Amino acid sequence: MVWWPARGIKRFLTEKAPYLSKENVKSMRIFKRSMHIYSVDVGNSNLLNFEIKALQSSQYNTHRFGIYFADSPRHADLLLVLGKPTEKMILPLMNTINQMPKPFGILLIEEDDEIDLDLPNIIGRLKNPSPSDILSALLKVMERN
Amino acid sequence: MKILLGTFHKDIDYYIVQEDGIVSIEIDPEDMYMPNYLFVKSHDLMISSDDAVRSGEGVFDFRYGPVTSGVGEAGVYHLYTYGERILSVDIDLSYKHRNISNRLIGLDFKSSLKMVEKICGNFAFSHSLAFSRAVESEIGIDVDQKSERLRIIALELERIYNHLYVIYQLAQAASQKVLASHLSYLFEEILRMNKNFSGSRYLKDFNNIGGIKNFDEKRLENLRVDLQRITSEFKDLYKMALESGNFLDRLYLTAVLKSSDAINIGITGPNLRSTGIKEDLRFGDPNYENLNIPTKNEGDALSRMEVRAEEIFESQKIILEHIERSDQKSQSGGEKGLGFCESPNGTVAYKVDVDNSTISDIYIVTPSFFAFKGIANSLKGNIFTDFQFAVESFGSNFADAAL
Repeated sequence: MVWWPARGIKRFLTEKAPYLSKENVKSMRIFKRSMHIYSVDVGNSNLLNFEIKALQSSQYNTHRFGIYFADSPRHADLLLVLGKPTEKMILPLMNTINQMPKPFGILLIEEDDEIDLDLPNIIGRLKNPSPSDILSALLKVMERN
Repeated sequence: MKILLGTFHKDIDYYIVQEDGIVSIEIDPEDMYMPNYLFVKSHDLMISSDDAVRSGEGVFDFRYGPVTSGVGEAGVYHLYTYGERILSVDIDLSYKHRNISNRLIGLDFKSSLKMVEKICGNFAFSHSLAFSRAVESEIGIDVDQKSERLRIIALELERIYNHLYVIYQLAQAASQKVLASHLSYLFEEILRMNKNFSGSRYLKDFNNIGGIKNFDEKRLENLRVDLQRITSEFKDLYKMALESGNFLDRLYLTAVLKSSDAINIGITGPNLRSTGIKEDLRFGDPNYENLNIPTKNEGDALSRMEVRAEEIFESQKIILEHIERSDQKSQSGGEKGLGFCESPNGTVAYKVDVDNSTISDIYIVTPSFFAFKGIANSLKGNIFTDFQFAVESFGSNFADAAL
């Protein structure tokens, strides 16, 4: 048996891809070296939550770009809003936004329904993105590609 | 034993939906199963553990969610505690409530199928399959063998990626960093395999009412190669995980659910099988021969993980078998307007009334709804640090439960 820490130590799972984005997202140069992200589910079908989980997989290795997932909106630079808010989630979403330290950005990630809320600092919208689409858009926000 | 799929009521008459059809029942308050029927019928958005203790010296309501990294989805756990031990749990589903069953009424088949897939993205195929089976039996469409075969394969693919996700989450909760990152790699690989197979990472828009058309047979060959690679890699990891004492210690006898409780609540799927009850909707399906469904007896988080891991291997076997075979029997006959299938988390059932090619009435049974009741009951008496293991090991989703 291989010792756990040594398992797969020679395997290189990270993918090298250009991650170019055609999405219309505003860049925030201040986060070029590091960006902390908090994602909030406001009523999507759980599919976008899965995509965010998949984005944290070894293939994408977001840490090499300085992208980290924070555990609290107070530690985050960018808020990902996943899905169209249900009636009861609008207030928690607003409270989350109020907790964000300035400057911050909000990236809306939608399924088929469009989010029609008036939120501050929206830097872009993605529709049904794959993890590599999300990563490309994040790198565009950071001006890294 | 007949499988209870759910209950519904029209005016004052109560019906229960069983595997072999719909049965009307008399209301008898003395009946021990009655609270369960009423629980299902009302489809509450607040689920509480039995014999809830909400007050006492120093007892307070620790509200967990809807915006926290510990609860990934928009849902709230009210944990009643005096510090460390959880006395009882209320689970609030209302934050995720999207009113889908009402929005479905009046839609045509095509748009309702799309809506049904949006109930729970990671069970999209199960929902789509159960719904289309319900509609097909209601309007009398027969499904061809080829579609039946692809449906079996897609359903098992969905089971594999969901089970792997649950194990990945458990490994992460137990801080098994190496295992978790290897599993995250496999998780993404499976999603890519799904995309190559069906065109969608989550097997959406693949199934249609009446069958699956325009499928390129060459994709099955790629599927076989990818699947064998992924499951053999998973087999190695799983074998190693079972030798990792500190991982198993976190799961062993955590959040135990007794088999009698599981039956009373109406839990189905791997969560029921981990309490020692060998029950699966696939047993009644002639297309699944020599089905070897794993069961465990403890009913704890470890058993639920073991059952899921072994089901991954079983599902792989089923898929490889059906890639070779093409003599699937088409399903017909069943009760009119009733469709169900064994989703990764248990029974998904649909009862559909059709009027003029639109949905006039619909009743949906989802497994996560029962699993949440199971979570609420099994969490009682556990400590806070076990919360994540209890929740993740049941593999239930707010999206699936709240509709």
